[in-house]
Amino acid sequence: MTNRTTIHLEINGQNQALEVEPRVTLLDALRDHLQLTGTKKGCDQGQCGACTVHVDGERVLACLTLAAQAEGRKITTVEGLSEPGGELHPVQAAFLDHDAFQCGYCTPGQIMSAVACIREGHAGSDDDIREYMSGNLCRCGAYPHIVEAIREAAKVMS
Amino acid sequence: MTIVDTKIKHGDASDGILGGRLSRIDGPAKITGSADYAMEHFPEGMVHAVIIDSTIASGRVLAIDAAAAEAYPGVLLVLTPDNAIAIKTATDWTGAPPPAVPFEPFAREITFNGQHIAAVIAETFEQATAAAALVKVTYDKTVPISTFDDPRAGEGYPIDMMTKEWGDAEAALATSPVRIKQEYRTPREYNVPIEPHGLIAQWTGDMLTLWEPSQWIDGMSRTYAEWFDIPFENVRMLSPYIGGGFGSKALPTRYGAVAAIAAKMLDRPVKLAITRPQTFTAFGGRPATRQTIALGATREGKLLSILHRGDNETSMNDVAVEPLGSVISIMYATPNFSSRQNLVPVNTVKPGALRAPGENPSAFGIECAIDELAYEVGIDPLDIRLLNYAEEDPSANKPWSTRRLREAYAAGADAFGWAKRNPRPRSMRDGKQLIGYGVAAGTYPVRRTPGEAMVRILSNGTIEVASSGIDMGQGTYTILAQTAAEAIGVPVETVMVKLGDSSLPRAPVAGGSQLANLMTGAVHKAALAARDELIGIAINHPNSPFRDLQANTLTIEAGRISSPRDTGAGIGIAEVMRRTGRDRIEALRNTLPEEHQNAKDHFRNFTTIATMKSPTEGDYSLHSWCVHFVEVRVDVDFGTVRVARMVSALDSGRLYNPKLAESQWKGGIIMGIGQALLEEGLVDDRYGRVMNNNLGDYLVPTNADIPDLKVISVGIPDTHASVLGGKAVGELAIVGVAPAIANAVYHATGVRVRNLPITLEKLI
Repeated sequence: MTNRTTIHLEINGQNQALEVEPRVTLLDALRDHLQLTGTKKGCDQGQCGACTVHVDGERVLACLTLAAQAEGRKITTVEGLSEPGGELHPVQAAFLDHDAFQCGYCTPGQIMSAVACIREGHAGSDDDIREYMSGNLCRCGAYPHIVEAIREAAKVMS
Repeated sequence: MTIVDTKIKHGDASDGILGGRLSRIDGPAKITGSADYAMEHFPEGMVHAVIIDSTIASGRVLAIDAAAAEAYPGVLLVLTPDNAIAIKTATDWTGAPPPAVPFEPFAREITFNGQHIAAVIAETFEQATAAAALVKVTYDKTVPISTFDDPRAGEGYPIDMMTKEWGDAEAALATSPVRIKQEYRTPREYNVPIEPHGLIAQWTGDMLTLWEPSQWIDGMSRTYAEWFDIPFENVRMLSPYIGGGFGSKALPTRYGAVAAIAAKMLDRPVKLAITRPQTFTAFGGRPATRQTIALGATREGKLLSILHRGDNETSMNDVAVEPLGSVISIMYATPNFSSRQNLVPVNTVKPGALRAPGENPSAFGIECAIDELAYEVGIDPLDIRLLNYAEEDPSANKPWSTRRLREAYAAGADAFGWAKRNPRPRSMRDGKQLIGYGVAAGTYPVRRTPGEAMVRILSNGTIEVASSGIDMGQGTYTILAQTAAEAIGVPVETVMVKLGDSSLPRAPVAGGSQLANLMTGAVHKAALAARDELIGIAINHPNSPFRDLQANTLTIEAGRISSPRDTGAGIGIAEVMRRTGRDRIEALRNTLPEEHQNAKDHFRNFTTIATMKSPTEGDYSLHSWCVHFVEVRVDVDFGTVRVARMVSALDSGRLYNPKLAESQWKGGIIMGIGQALLEEGLVDDRYGRVMNNNLGDYLVPTNADIPDLKVISVGIPDTHASVLGGKAVGELAIVGVAPAIANAVYHATGVRVRNLPITLEKLI
């Protein structure tokens, strides 16, 4: 299990070649090998949603995905949601306005899930938002503000 | 130095910059992924450690066979009690001198399941994880005492300092016309911040650098220094962002010692990230509690006696008290009172602090019991609370500094629509849903420790605030920027706040809901000192444009200095600094009393909790207060409970930033909903093991569990409680949520659940 393999990923619009062991998860590849630490490790068991990224536009748990499974795919992380120093994505802006986070650790996962939730058409009602955001745990308890933020961002994005 | 009339604002929550609803200034970093949490650093040559835990709860380790692990590719070291370098025992958090024995982070004698016994350090995380699975441990097992319900656990031992008594509670109870007596229980509960614990340790000579999420940089740094017998100043701890703590990241842990030992032995930076399952045993959460409460009252519901006996689980070799008498002893007026508490040792990790330790289960007991008494005598649960309202602290016999609980009851009841409640249980219904309304109050004390801060006015007119205090989401960065901006008179955008670094001025623990009050106090003091110096320069310096004005009433607003004799727009701070040749003005201030302004007391203040004042030290009893109104809906067939809506009215004194305080309140309420309906550490009695040690099985609230929450601030500035008028915020709002829900469930169903969580099998 220590043979390294080369993996090609397109991350936030940039092609990256990585030499990693086949057992390396996408999450650890992002965080430890590419130092893209915006994607968070909360449980490493697919239970908390902190590691949510987009793979080919769909939300995926990076801790349950081997880096090798993402070979050749387009990956978007929270770092790629808006240009550095540029305008915030409407979901990011709404999270800030509505104080939809406290410690901030689950927040990148919440934001990536929220963008997907809106895109999937699951932000039509507060109940829908609550249901389709329930894979992302927030222990600080920002849920009501997350719902408000997504409701508002969905309006801006439509 | 100068004669300056400094105006200090003590207005209401809407007054001035401090008190405004500023969005958190650390927010942009958090929403773009650029906030660097402690474990997200990459020192050159970093290697990875994985901890191996005991799989038995009681007995001893006979042998550790590390051969296969040592032969595994990439493995650098298998660390065991036999090869780990010796370190010293450190002073504990109370400041008690340590025994002169080595501190052993690995156990040979096992007292709980999940105890650290060895570690594997390898070049990569994957290698360390795989090799750890190859380590073979043989044990000599004994039968564990898994919980305090095991008959072999016995009654435990009393903690005399928890005893509170006045009048004659037993005699008064015996003669009371109305008597009720019940047992109330809370299970083991866990902090589960979404950022798991861990650290990166790096040695450079005898300097130790630690990137570790910490609620108490200075206290933890002291422990590391004493473990390794190096000067306190040789430890640099960095924790700029903390991914939640809720009490669990305030004290050094054994795995921290392991990482630092490994780093020293290998002379490589070591990252040790404990796994999510390990977060249930590498440190403790709230212990299981049980309380027997007997209330004696008149037929009208006026309390005559409260008799309270509580137990909490502790570990085999440690004293961990969850103070169960804290709320029951102050919430209601009673002429006779007795509260005592025992600890019952079991084979568990030492319990720790989880949001409102003591107040939380204490309120669950009394706030359910008073509800039961209301039904017993046939009056409204809100009315019985008003009937027994404590006009002063009945335990300390001191006046409250402020107690806006009556206002909270009124505001909450009105916003909730409490008057529409049919008093009879199981009387309100919507189709298959039984509807219940419940109420319960909560409280949290105001704790006080002196703080320290540096405030700098830089040559470009911007302000820098620095402290080793931390922000784990409470909003420290933001409210300290607001404090400095208001005190000096500059736009808040020009204030930069540095936190979470042991090289900065000192701060006591971010715990006990004290940090906001003590740090705003310290920053306010330092900022005024910096402002005074700036004004002094503006008045006195030969090159100052204000010198000729002979003015001693200069003002600073929006970053511009002006004189009442000068009708112009004033002069920017940067311009005054330039003309007077100053590159910076610095003010380092602490709020220690004059008699403690010496190095020894200073060190003790920030590295122990010995100087933390109790809420009743002084002329007043200082507490925050709250009340929660809950509507639950219980499925008549399945017994599933949903919280449909909640209104909470809270008195935290003055709010420095209502937007952020409301977030903290709601966060506490949500954690309380989890406590009421979901959270329970389940122990396998055979192995003393917490079975549901992960986020899929230890259930915390999800978004779909939480309705709209309304929070109402009824506080007023309380300058007895703190310099700027705030009281406790962070730990207040969880207190009283679980009993409010339990009371609502009773109202909905007629079933009284006295052991949390309220799960469906208890209702059908």
